[in-house]
This record gives sequence, structure tokens and C-alpha cells, in this order.
Amino acid sequence: MSSSPNALCFGYELPASGAPCLVRFGGQGLTVTFASESMAGRSEEVPFTALSVSVGGLDHDQLVLKWIGDRGERALYLKDADLIRSFRRSAPEQLHVPFERAAELARLVRRRRRMVWGVVAGVVLALSAGLWRGGDLLVALAVERIPPEWEQKLGESAYKDFLARQDIVREGPAVSAVQEMTRRLVEQIPNNPYKFEVTVVKSDVVNAFALPGGYIVVFTGLMKKATGAEEVAGVLSHELNHVLQRHGLERIVKRLGLVAAASIVFGDQQGLAGLMKQFGVELMTLKFGREQETEADLTGLQLLYQARIDPSGMIGFFERLSEKDEGRMEWLSTHPMSQGRAERLKAELAAMPKLSPVPFTFEWAAVRASLGVSPPAEP
Amino acid sequence: MRSEILYPGAFPMVRVELAAGEQIKAESGAMVGASPTIDVESKMEGGFLGALSRKLLTGEKFFFQTLRAGRGPGEVLLAPTVPGEIVILELDGVNEYMVQKDGFLAGADTISIESKMQSFTRGLMGGEGFFILKIGGKGTLILNSFGAIHRIDLKPDQEYIVDNSHMVAWSATTSYNIERASSGWMASFTSGEGFVCRFRGPGVVYIQSRNPGGFGAWIRQFIPVSE
Repeated sequence: MSSSPNALCFGYELPASGAPCLVRFGGQGLTVTFASESMAGRSEEVPFTALSVSVGGLDHDQLVLKWIGDRGERALYLKDADLIRSFRRSAPEQLHVPFERAAELARLVRRRRRMVWGVVAGVVLALSAGLWRGGDLLVALAVERIPPEWEQKLGESAYKDFLARQDIVREGPAVSAVQEMTRRLVEQIPNNPYKFEVTVVKSDVVNAFALPGGYIVVFTGLMKKATGAEEVAGVLSHELNHVLQRHGLERIVKRLGLVAAASIVFGDQQGLAGLMKQFGVELMTLKFGREQETEADLTGLQLLYQARIDPSGMIGFFERLSEKDEGRMEWLSTHPMSQGRAERLKAELAAMPKLSPVPFTFEWAAVRASLGVSPPAEP
Repeated sequence: MRSEILYPGAFPMVRVELAAGEQIKAESGAMVGASPTIDVESKMEGGFLGALSRKLLTGEKFFFQTLRAGRGPGEVLLAPTVPGEIVILELDGVNEYMVQKDGFLAGADTISIESKMQSFTRGLMGGEGFFILKIGGKGTLILNSFGAIHRIDLKPDQEYIVDNSHMVAWSATTSYNIERASSGWMASFTSGEGFVCRFRGPGVVYIQSRNPGGFGAWIRQFIPVSE
């Protein structure tokens, strides 16, 4: 073990890649024993007084000992920590100062490199964080520049993709009921750039969602759970407002910004393309932020009010959904319900002048019956 | 393990002879042929995270291949993807080489390979990315290049200037600084030599006679653009 080489020796007649050698420190100096076959057994003794000490190597992490020998200048590169410690123990006092200076230089290089990387990491993090949090204005600006047609195309492809795998309810009381609700709500939207399309999908999932561009899906599970048409209309109004406020687009732009930054940092353009593709899928599970939910709640409430649909149905339904945890309440997982949210809506409603609601033209009980819910489910 | 370069020049191949039980690691996809006694395994050098970081950070392949003469002695033929020379180095346990990410072809099982972060300036301007491979240990190391491999020997404190996209591998005892090729920013870009590396010995620097990025840019003009 002690005979395996532990350092590289450089010199005029030695190979450029360095001659592997075994270095030992003694009381007066060091002994270099060459390990390569052509020079096997040859050794040189160097007194400490002849040595100069510095650091070298790619990362300034090797201890360099130089001296002028019989065969010209020699340089010894040591990187083994034990060997360097052994040098420090046996070296005489006059070498301590240059040794400490060399060690300080090595530490300085390491520290400086760490600092530079720290600053770079900090800047990258700050940029990402800035894009994510403080960049709302930037996101809003970007979203403003995206035409509704583009948004519609994006939503449409995801919508078609999704529906291709679903059992769609094409006609019947449930479909006409949802269409009537949508019509009454949409009529109240001034300068509406979207052509809203609502599809009823047969599924026990208690959920409804909106895609950018005005594509809305209502699951029959949600309709079965609702005891009045106003409750479903409330959910619809909330979802319509996600579209109108372009919440989906905002999320995508935000996410894209982060991904782009990350891809630039890691130089992985393929990853960027892959992630772009994923957005089509992610549109389905797109979670909106808390502010976006609140905004959709409040504007949804106003829209219901303008359409003269009783908004208390919406509030009551939200509360009921949050209390009971039966079945698959998926609307809750994407729309986390808090008591504060319902309270806020109640307060908002109380501040509005009293409303005389206009009833729907259909019987809700008949709609539910068509979905297979037996009539005595009345509360 | 004994290795020999066949067809030296632009389209070489390496024949590695393995004794029973011996194994080597190679870049995945490097194997051209092998005796039936050789088993091919994918191995994530440095564990999953190590492999992942190497893939993400250096762009080097996620898996190395392990070729093992499990059922008796045999031989393996290895070749790189790009046309260019192959060089065989014997690592003595003390020497360490820094290798740019495309330079590694194969090596004895006893050599160690790790991804190493460069300093920020070198990573940004050096042309081989922020991460390079640090290869040490004892055993055979096989490198490949784009074009011919040229070896530059540097004595202590001797300097040499290399264009940043021509570097293949260099000993850890050398050090280098990134510099502009000529004084003045305009001249730097118009001369086509944006940045160069000033190497300082002692040690060995292997460079390649062709620049992959430059070749890519040249060939792009001949590729028909669709639409």
C-alpha cells in the first residue's frame, strides 16, 4: 500500500502528463521514488530548504512543490490530503508562511467559486420567484396580447381530447336545462368574445370545469347532488367567470415562464418541448389560485344576480358540499372550499338590493328524475 | 483487459479483450459487436441521482453500459457516434483527466467517473457547459473526438492557447483561463474566434481537429427547410 504512487512529478526529461511517484517526508526533506517501469527504483532526495510552495491545478486545489535539481527544474503536484498534512507536520518553520499563503489562496478560490455560484443561483431563483409572484402584471400584459381565437384553439383541442374518452349526454331534460341556464347567464355578459359551449358528461364525479376559450363540462354527478336548478346555475356562473377572466390562460403563461427559465438554465430544449405538450393534458387538472377563485366567486355572484337567478342557491350548495364528504367531491379538490368563502359571498349578497328571481322554465325534479334520482330526495 | 484501435483515422473502432469475469463501462450505444460470452447491462454510475444529474447537467447519457465477460473470456467492439479518432490512456491512479461531455467512450471498471461543476466563467464561455466529467482511478480510459486527436504536452508554466470548442480532455494539473481571442470585442466576434482557453502546464491537453458546433452550423445550410 505504501509503495503505490501518491503524487505526480514534472520535469524537463519526465513525461508531460507527469511521472507517478511516491513521496515521503522526513526530518530534513522529502524523498521522491519514481514508480513507472522505465524509471523504477530511481529516487531523488530534496532538502526542505530547496523547496518553494504554491498551489496549482485546474481548481487551485493541488499543493505544488518546486525546486531546482540536478536535472533542472522539478515540480511536484500533491492532492492527497494525508500527504499534504504530512508535509505540514514535517516542514520546517520557514516553509509555514508560504504554505499558509498557498492554503489561503486555495480556500479563496473555493470560496469565490461558491460565492459566484451562490449569486447565480440567487439570481435564477429571484427571477423565477419574480415571474411567479410579482410577475402578475407581466402575466396580465402577456395574457392581454393573446387573442381569444388562440385561446379558443388551445381549449378546443383539450376539450375534444377529453370528450373523446367520455360518455356524453347528448339530449334530454338535463341537456336542455343546462343550455337554458347558460343562455340566461351568457345573455348578461356585455361584449362577450367567447362562444360558450357546455357539455353534460355522464359520470358520478361531483364536478364541473371550464377550459380557456369557453368550453365547459358539467358532470351528471354534480346535477344529481344539486337539489335545485339555482345550485347548478351557481356553479356554471362560477365556471363561466373563470373563462371570462381568462384564469386558465394566466396560469399557463405563468407556468410557461418558469419552465422556460428552468429550461434555459439547464439548457434542455427537448424538455421544454415535452413540457409544452403536457399543457394540453394539464389543462384538465389546472388548479386556479386562491385569488382567481375569489374573483370567479364574486363575478359569478354578480352574473347570477343580473340573470335574476337566486344566488342563495349557489352559496347554500357550496356550504353543503364542504360539510359532507361523501362520494367523490372532486369539485372541492379543485375548488377548495372554506367557510370564509361562503361567508364572503353571503356578505356580498346581503349588500345587494333584494332580488325577485325569475324561475327556470323546466322542473328540476324532472331533470333529476331523467338522471335516475328518485323524487323523495327533496330536503 | 487489452485494447487495440482498429482502422485508425476517421472511422476507427476499438477491440477490447476481456478475461473471464472482467468488465468495462462504455457509453451507452457504443457497442458494435461482442463475443457471445459478453453480457450487456445498463448501469447507472453513481446511483440514480448521480446518473440523473449527469444526464440533466452534462447532457451525457443517463446510463453507462457495463459489458461483462460473465461466461468466459471474450472481446467487445466499440465505436463512437461521430467520425473521429480514438485515443487510449492508461490512468495510473494519480493522474486525473477532465473530459468534456462527449469525449468519453469507454473505460476499465476500476476508473471513477464523476460530474464536476466548473467555475461560472469557464462554464459560460468554455464551450463545454457547466459540468464536465472528472475521470480518475487506475486503468484504461478510452476517449473519442470529432476529427483527429492532437496531444499537446505542457511543461510546468508553459502556456498554450486553444479555441474553446476544440477541447477534448486535459489533465487536472493544468489550469486554464477563458480569454477573448483578440483585443476589442468587435475583433473577437468578427475573427470567428470568440473565446479561447489559455492553458498553463504542467500536464497534457487533448484537442480535436474539428469543431462539432461549427460543423453543425456548416451542415445546416444544406438541410432543406420544410414549408
